[in-house]
Amino acid sequence: MADLVGINGQRENFKVVGKHNLPGKVSYALASGVAKFGVDYALPGMLHAKFLRSPYANARVLSVDASKAKALPGVVDIVMWDDPDMIALKPPGPFGPTRPWLDNYADQEGIEVAVIVVAEDEDICEEALRLLDVEWEVYPHVVDILKGKEIDAPLARPTDPLFHGKDMFARLVDEPKRGNVSRAITVQGDVDKAMEEAEHVLEYKLVLPTFASHVPNPPASVAQWFDDPYTGPNNLHIEGAVQRRDSVGRMYGVPDHKTFQYGIFQGGKYCDWGMRRSQEITPLLARRTGRPVRCSEKREEAFDFLMNQRYIYMKIGFDKDGLISAIDDYSIADGGIDGNASFGTANDQGYGPYYTMKCLNIRQNMDIVDSNRGKMRLSGQHCPFNWDSGTMAIYLVAEKLGKDPIDIAKLNLHGPDSQEDMRPVRSFDECLDEGRKLMNWSWHASGTKKLPDGRYHGAAFRYQICPRHAFSGYNCKLEFRNGQIVLPTQGPVTGIFAVECNAMVVAEELGVGYDDVVVEFNFRERFTPVGGGSDGSTASAWAMKECANILKKQILEATIEGANNPPPPSFFGPPPPANPFKGFKVEDLDIVDKMIVAKDDPSKSLPLAMATMDHLVATYSGRPPAAIWSLGMGKMLDTMNTAYCEVAVDPETGEVEVLRFGVVADPGLVLRPTSLESQIDQVMFFSQGCQLLEEYVYDERTGVRLNNNMIDYKKPGMLDVAHVDRKFVETRDGNAAYGASGVSHSMANTHMVVIAIHNAIGVWVDPPATPDKILKALGKA
Amino acid sequence: MYTPESTQAAAYQLVNSVTSPMDQFKCSVCSSVFANYDSLRRHYDTEHPHDVAPVVVALHLNGKHCEIVVNPHWTFQRALQYKFGLTGAKHMCDKGVCGSCTVIIDGRSVLSCTTLAVEVAGKTVQTVEGIAADPKWKPLIDAYCKWDAMQCGYCTPGFMVAAKNLLDKNPDPTEQECREALAGNICICGTYPRHAQAILEAAKEIYKGGNA
Ligand code: FES
Ligand code: FES
Repeated sequence: MADLVGINGQRENFKVVGKHNLPGKVSYALASGVAKFGVDYALPGMLHAKFLRSPYANARVLSVDASKAKALPGVVDIVMWDDPDMIALKPPGPFGPTRPWLDNYADQEGIEVAVIVVAEDEDICEEALRLLDVEWEVYPHVVDILKGKEIDAPLARPTDPLFHGKDMFARLVDEPKRGNVSRAITVQGDVDKAMEEAEHVLEYKLVLPTFASHVPNPPASVAQWFDDPYTGPNNLHIEGAVQRRDSVGRMYGVPDHKTFQYGIFQGGKYCDWGMRRSQEITPLLARRTGRPVRCSEKREEAFDFLMNQRYIYMKIGFDKDGLISAIDDYSIADGGIDGNASFGTANDQGYGPYYTMKCLNIRQNMDIVDSNRGKMRLSGQHCPFNWDSGTMAIYLVAEKLGKDPIDIAKLNLHGPDSQEDMRPVRSFDECLDEGRKLMNWSWHASGTKKLPDGRYHGAAFRYQICPRHAFSGYNCKLEFRNGQIVLPTQGPVTGIFAVECNAMVVAEELGVGYDDVVVEFNFRERFTPVGGGSDGSTASAWAMKECANILKKQILEATIEGANNPPPPSFFGPPPPANPFKGFKVEDLDIVDKMIVAKDDPSKSLPLAMATMDHLVATYSGRPPAAIWSLGMGKMLDTMNTAYCEVAVDPETGEVEVLRFGVVADPGLVLRPTSLESQIDQVMFFSQGCQLLEEYVYDERTGVRLNNNMIDYKKPGMLDVAHVDRKFVETRDGNAAYGASGVSHSMANTHMVVIAIHNAIGVWVDPPATPDKILKALGKA
Repeated sequence: MYTPESTQAAAYQLVNSVTSPMDQFKCSVCSSVFANYDSLRRHYDTEHPHDVAPVVVALHLNGKHCEIVVNPHWTFQRALQYKFGLTGAKHMCDKGVCGSCTVIIDGRSVLSCTTLAVEVAGKTVQTVEGIAADPKWKPLIDAYCKWDAMQCGYCTPGFMVAAKNLLDKNPDPTEQECREALAGNICICGTYPRHAQAILEAAKEIYKGGNA
């Protein structure tokens, strides 16, 4: 607990860290439209590329006659899946599909398949695609996973007998796949016996809708090959593949030093780190055509999942006080199409809500059903996805026993070190105390409170652990150059103000202001501050804190060296100020407010900018101690967060208004409050959207997704979102920079609003809780 | 390094580099380049008789008179990117839903993804770059940056243009008026509460002394 390992981890006085309203280092570029995202790049003489996209949810291309398309003026190249260049292409990284990079098989309507057209402009590409004569073999599809689960269901991926999701936290059952179904089971204790012995047993079901949170900027890249007098022939310039420039380079056998990219702006990622084909194909096409090639996707072509559909059937046993002794979770989860992430499926079993409870008898049993619905990339904001099955357990136990769910949560949460640890978790208790105050918390049973306007009032509460980025090391570098502190980084910029957190820590440690830390973006640099949103950059900031102190030592040593061995007087310019530190030792000096000062005698000082003309470079490669959540996966607890919401439900119209959200979170220590607040708002709005508005709709007959556009798939707007009251508790019980941990995306939820609706009207409505569903639940429609 | 000054200068440079896109009369079918518009037209008549020839559109863009040769079906957003090199009008939805592509045409906020370039002929247009290059609006940019009224920043230029257009019409808006003026802009990152805060602060600075 706490930052006991890192230098100055116990710092008490902060001048920069925790300050509000420090502009982001690239905010001016973003606000003024100067910032360029991948989709914004255009290179002189470039061509455009478009993929053939499948009109069928499950089909194979048997043959393509491209003669008419080839004859179209302006068409420069047509590449088929069986072209040797295409066969040789291998996906980068571990999370891509395991089939060929592009083949003649389509397991989702709208997915890239079989053919790429390269032409003078996008209109010609589209015209050429229309002129292709494609022979399809169409198979039955699966867009309803409950049907897809059946043994006689059509296969969603006839060519692909394996589940491809990588299991980081939990293992799949080692048994042959049955139809579309892979299985994952995790068992702890004796669930059947505990259930039998329980005083009360409750069963309930949760439905998680598929939820999109597409990256705002449509994916796109532009690439060209060029010769360079310094690096020789065959250099690759690619824009739009920001985070994965080097891995795209590796796809094409180009070493890192010959892969160029100047853009840093990547758009909102929301943990969607999956590269799209449009971001990987342009180097090949540019090589084939000898010209720069751009490939971009339309919004409807990039409407991917942030959360897979899932049905969770729960059974819990508990005693008369509400202490849960048995949890039996059976889920049916969408395994999606080829290359779907295993977050939201098997991975959730290894790290989830149940392990935060004292309950020792837990069974998680999951059927993962391949489908033709779509793909979830790597990870989403709702992580893990079954968290609110635990939230709902607490609510239901409270309902059953006529108690406050906060008390039930407190009773069930285990202590800091293990599930058997009965001690309280300080962070949790402090969050709850503040939360009760923030919300004027006064619990009522479901359906018992009406507002003066006749609407029903409902409230809900949930908790989560505060995770931080736990798996990366950081290669930090800082320079003292011409009297300035420089923080070089490759970026990228994804909206989480990560480099800013790092710059604030550097400023703190070096005794300078935030504006005095110059951030230089350069793709050649190795430092990447990325490490989770909402102050999740606490891990990189920990490493940067070490680096800053290495630089500080170098600066002080150089200052003393300058005093001991002053340089000969210069004929140019005014003489430098006298260096009063002759004979001093490093430990005698400090840097305070941009001055080097003697600790014992602050009247002896020298402006930092004048300390030395040496160019000093400090590096540090490392990472903070392992995050507690990653060690314990819920069985060890340090920093926690709590969230609350109040709703009003109109029984006449079925309309739900979120009256307000409340958040009391303990990120350990708040590094950059302005962005932390904003990201807390963001997760609440994500949560509101997926519980009240958002849902994919499929045509069951054709397998076509009907609403992958922003007209029919409604995201919350300015007038839709609820007010969010926030309060931060700072226990410093995390173990990244200064005891910070971060909140990351742990507060995004799938059922807090839905539970509040139940508390209002006493009946369950699956998300999205649209007015028609509410009225139906009330027996009025 | 994007300082307030360097960014303003960059916006100014972008605005001023759009003076002569007529330089290149390029066939969008086969990429042949011609010396003037008449030659390009003749090329279409003879070589691509089934394709619709581009047309000349003249407009006032960020205070400059400009002419472009553009295909009649091109959206104005596309023309801004490919003819003028201005990418501040972003496209998120391409369907007139999200407001990311907002520009001001003859004093009104307009979605450039659903406006044809030919519709803009003879009109006065202001894009986010034009706003950012104008020192008068620096307080608005400053306030957006100070309040983190952006996360990934992709939607931000659209919000910025809508906010500027609001302040053009209403120098002293209420918080609710700010929210309503920006109701057509979608921010996937959920920065909504930040905008009114920034606009209200900027309005005070821009119109201090009542010089609306
Ligand atoms: S891109 Fe124009 S409104 Fe969305
Ligand atoms: S800041 Fe990312 S979409 Fe608005």
